[in-house]
Amino acid sequence: MSKIEYKYTPVLPDEFRCKVPLPGIFQAVVHNGELSKERHKSNGVTLSPYSGNMGYRIDSMPNTISEDIIQVISFRDASDTSDLEYSNKIVVGEGGELSLLLCSHTLSLDSFNTSERIEIEVGEGAVADMVVMQNEHNNSNHHFLFDANIAASGFLRINVVTLHGAQLDNNFKIALKGEESRCDLNGVYLADGSQKINNNITISHLVPNCLSNQLFKGILDDSAVASFTGRIVVAKDAQKTEAFQANHNLLLSSSAKVYAQPQLEIYADDVKCSHGATSGRLDEEALFYMRSRGIGYDEAKLQQQLAFANDVLQKIPNERQRERLRNLVESRLRGEFGKCDNCSMMNCC
Amino acid sequence: MLEIKDLHASVGSREILKGIDILVKAGETHAIMGPNGSGKSTLSSVLAGRDTFEVTAGSVNFKGIDLLELEPEERAREGLFLGFQYPVEIPGVSNVNFMKSAINEQRKFKGLAPINAAEFLKLMREKMAIVEMDNSFSGRGVNVGFSGGEKKRNEIFQMAMLDPQLAILDETDSGLDIDALRIVANGVNKLKRADNAFIVITHYQRLLDYIVPDVVHVLYDGKIIKSAGKELAIEVEERGYDWLINS
Repeated sequence: MSKIEYKYTPVLPDEFRCKVPLPGIFQAVVHNGELSKERHKSNGVTLSPYSGNMGYRIDSMPNTISEDIIQVISFRDASDTSDLEYSNKIVVGEGGELSLLLCSHTLSLDSFNTSERIEIEVGEGAVADMVVMQNEHNNSNHHFLFDANIAASGFLRINVVTLHGAQLDNNFKIALKGEESRCDLNGVYLADGSQKINNNITISHLVPNCLSNQLFKGILDDSAVASFTGRIVVAKDAQKTEAFQANHNLLLSSSAKVYAQPQLEIYADDVKCSHGATSGRLDEEALFYMRSRGIGYDEAKLQQQLAFANDVLQKIPNERQRERLRNLVESRLRGEFGKCDNCSMMNCC
Repeated sequence: MLEIKDLHASVGSREILKGIDILVKAGETHAIMGPNGSGKSTLSSVLAGRDTFEVTAGSVNFKGIDLLELEPEERAREGLFLGFQYPVEIPGVSNVNFMKSAINEQRKFKGLAPINAAEFLKLMREKMAIVEMDNSFSGRGVNVGFSGGEKKRNEIFQMAMLDPQLAILDETDSGLDIDALRIVANGVNKLKRADNAFIVITHYQRLLDYIVPDVVHVLYDGKIIKSAGKELAIEVEERGYDWLINS
């Protein structure tokens, strides 16, 4: 078998420390599934183990508006290479607002199988804003299930940035349970070598007057394979539902593959729903146009890829976080992921 | 500045350019006219380096450099500019970033440091004024949602920013109303100097009322069948091409 080449793979750390230099970030570390910080409470937000020692639980009290971003860094390393399966829970009490940054890493080249369930309860009128960043090694298979319930007038936003991993499965099971609730679910995935990335989504509109938006975009090179299965279910009584879904893929090589399966299951008769899936290549006309202005071929290709990914990245509301992730995506696409000054290893900041 | 000798080019097995000779000196403006399908746009594409065409014979010398050996971006950095007949839309890449990348690539080629923000803004403003473009356009995606006239003005704006030594304008007048035509032509006239040159490709004499050429070439079936002074354009407008083709 020919050697697989990746544009980027995370380097191996001696010691891990993440110092995302954003002000107002509270960091918690989950090491091989165990929350390594003790119970923590600040500003009405409690962080504790989910059950036994495994997983985490974040509770935000009703009407608590947390100004801090809570960053949960989950990493696996050589000290425990067994298959792990655990659950986490995030509760945003009614009327509250919570911002989360969930990062997942592996710090050794061992083979890891991790299965993680993240239960999310968004209370009435509450806002949960989550950014998920995935940056793992070539032998890491990580299965995520984001299982969310959104109460009336609640809003859940998840933006997923998938940078690296052998196989990353992102499953989303989202139920809009209260009227006027909303969900905004977006993802950008970059894969090369022989990586596999699956996004599997079910959004259920169970009551009237809810809104959901999905935008997933992928850039696939070499023999990378991605799949997108997006199912929108509109229950019989869920009139005035608005549900939109789009999946677009940029294939940089002839052996990269994507499987897109949009599915609409609609039982109500007064709804607005749409879906669209595309796969395409870089626009040769635009490349020539850019080159004719003196922009080199590689740079022109990169600019197009960045513009493609940017549609998703710009949905991250926090400007500094958005810029950080945009820079990260750019370095990754340029293949010049150097270590940053603040982090020991993972190129994430 | 530019010497094209016996240039032949094909697409697949079909020969489109069948031996072109043109000599353009610094300070000159040349017009290339000709009926549809005569090879005008092919000539501009070959000069800019589009790889859909294969050069089968002949040479192109630009400032002493063998132009045909260069990649499209290298030609641009050497000072060649092509104004597109159909400017391309690039969603997600803003005009301002596009121009910044282009300018900085050019500066890198010349061994200069990247342009600083203030200098760049000043340059943008100055050059936008030339084609009467308002500020709102700089943040928009390149040509995205632009009208036909705005796209052509954007071509002239880009030309002004890059300050090429040789600009080839491929049917820059097509699809323009009279006001846009005037703006575009004025833009070109403001950029004319003794040390640069223009090749203007057009169907109509109308543009040449505004941009007055030194030499007019008539291209037909892949060959220059007549070259003369600016009066040739007027004669073509009055008599069409048949008298040239049949003579």
